[in-house]
Amino acid sequence: MESATQEPPTTPAPVHSEPVSHSSQAPIPKTGWLMERFAHWSIEQRVLAGFGLVFAGIVVISAISYRNTSVLLENSRLDTKSHELVQLLGSVEEALGAAESGHRRYLVTGDESYLKSYQATVEQMPEYLRYLRGLTKEGAEQQDRVEALERLITSQLKAEAEAIVQRKKRGYEGVRHLALAGAAKNEIEGIHRLMTELDTAEQRVLHARVEESAGSTKNTIALLGLGAFLQLVLLASVYILIHHDIAERRRVAAELQSRGELLQAANKELEAFSYSVSHDLRAPLRHIDGYAALLSKAAGETLNDKARRYLQTISSSAKQMGQLIDDLLVFSRMGRQDMLRTTVNLDQLVKTVLHDLRLDLQGRTISWTIHPLPNVSGDPAMLRQVFVNLISNALKFTATRLEAKIEIGAGPRNSGETEVFVRDNGVGFDMQYVNKLFGVFQRLHRNDEFEGTGIGLANVRRIIHRHGGRTWAEGAPDQGATFHFSLPLARSLR
Amino acid sequence: MTTVKPILLAEDNPRDAELALAAMEEHHIADKVVVCHDGAEVLDYLYCRGIFASRQQGNPVVVFLDLKMPKVDGLEVLRAIKNDANLKPIPVVMLTSSREERDLAQSYALGANAYVVKPVEFQQFIAAVKELGVFWGVINEPPPEGSKPNA
Repeated sequence: MESATQEPPTTPAPVHSEPVSHSSQAPIPKTGWLMERFAHWSIEQRVLAGFGLVFAGIVVISAISYRNTSVLLENSRLDTKSHELVQLLGSVEEALGAAESGHRRYLVTGDESYLKSYQATVEQMPEYLRYLRGLTKEGAEQQDRVEALERLITSQLKAEAEAIVQRKKRGYEGVRHLALAGAAKNEIEGIHRLMTELDTAEQRVLHARVEESAGSTKNTIALLGLGAFLQLVLLASVYILIHHDIAERRRVAAELQSRGELLQAANKELEAFSYSVSHDLRAPLRHIDGYAALLSKAAGETLNDKARRYLQTISSSAKQMGQLIDDLLVFSRMGRQDMLRTTVNLDQLVKTVLHDLRLDLQGRTISWTIHPLPNVSGDPAMLRQVFVNLISNALKFTATRLEAKIEIGAGPRNSGETEVFVRDNGVGFDMQYVNKLFGVFQRLHRNDEFEGTGIGLANVRRIIHRHGGRTWAEGAPDQGATFHFSLPLARSLR
Repeated sequence: MTTVKPILLAEDNPRDAELALAAMEEHHIADKVVVCHDGAEVLDYLYCRGIFASRQQGNPVVVFLDLKMPKVDGLEVLRAIKNDANLKPIPVVMLTSSREERDLAQSYALGANAYVVKPVEFQQFIAAVKELGVFWGVINEPPPEGSKPNA
């Protein structure tokens, strides 16, 4: 969490752009500080935080509900035990009562059939007592009572057994006083009191537990309700987010489409424009040059040197403009022409370019160094234009050298691209202006130094960019220049 | 009297026409040139109608055709010529400012015999027009008059 304050989120929130430098100012109250930290979070982080909170809430609620339910289950188990205990107490009391009345009847009548119920109680009692101990082993108080009860019961049964023995030995007269009051009057009273105590205590515990269970159930229901609500909130937010995302995507797609259509329309317009330039702009230029030539022919002899020079200037300006228009048309065509994709043998390509330029090489002393070049994937005509422009440039800017040195080669292949360079020992350029080199109509030399329209390198860059490559250059004034371009390697050529 | 077959030059721009004529003059073939100023006039000439109703019969030795012309443009004239069995044999040279690929492709598809882009430089223009005039007007043997394929 601390790192969140140190580093700004990777995608800054575009909407809530509150001032960032708050933390360096006077202390802000804690809530303000929290709000500020929240404001720094990106949308994704906020959504994640919200989901995290809701999720944590649901987990806590589930845990509490689970605990409550366990308590309820435990209570219900204890309740069953309590009910059993109460029932058992009843059975014990009944059995003891049966034993008591049975032995007294025997004492009075001497009829041994009355001893059956007494005998049954004696036989059942250990079982009852074990059962009783089992049911009360979780409560110390009740256990004590059960122990006391056990002692009393044992003593009652013992007293009754002794009375029965006396009756058998000495007859009715021997046990007359016992037969009237019962053999264990004191014990029976104690037993009764203890039983009542046991019963009351158990009822009290039972009642408390029922209260607790009811509260716990209410709690659980409320919590489950809250959990359901949170889950609804979660679902609703997910729905809203997804809905928002889809709407956004639809909007972007629609916008892209409309922009694509606009672009297509603009391209069509540009095509019409360049067609018009190609056709209509050249006609007046042709006329200027033509009529200047006709004038010079018709009146050349009568004109003085100055006038003839003027005519020549008119003519050469028209030619220059014609060249500009032609270059610009090539530039525009390179941008919209469909591209071929074939394997181009650059060695062969450079050879044909040099052959085509041979007229420009006449009377020049040039030392060529041409290294083996790779095969690349691209449009042969366009790549040819690249070499024509780069080699023409090298020739042009080495014109002042006694021996021009031009080197063409390939750089090392790395990270999926091929690099090619053309190096010369010409007039070079100042690296300060390197950014202007590849711009349209950007020139680093005056026209009376080196002719040119300033489109050649722009064309090189455009073609290389359309191939997915890069162009760059290095040089120094009077130290020559090196022009590089890179082309991505086609997978089949790798 | 030898009937010299004329060269038909379709050019809507009078300056271009004058320059072309000046170029042809250099080689003394200008007097053989008939100039039409739009596509409709070219068709009138070829079908001997309108202002050309009373001209001497016969096809020109070659037609130099500008692409962009008022009324009927160069490509339509070309289509008309190549769709008429009688006119089809006339060599048609497109002489235009346009270097657009589309124009080149359409012209050849319609049956143009050559396609020449007018150079801006007058010396080159003269050279081009001269060569064209000499080649098509003098060197090239035109199809025999009224020739029709037997098939």
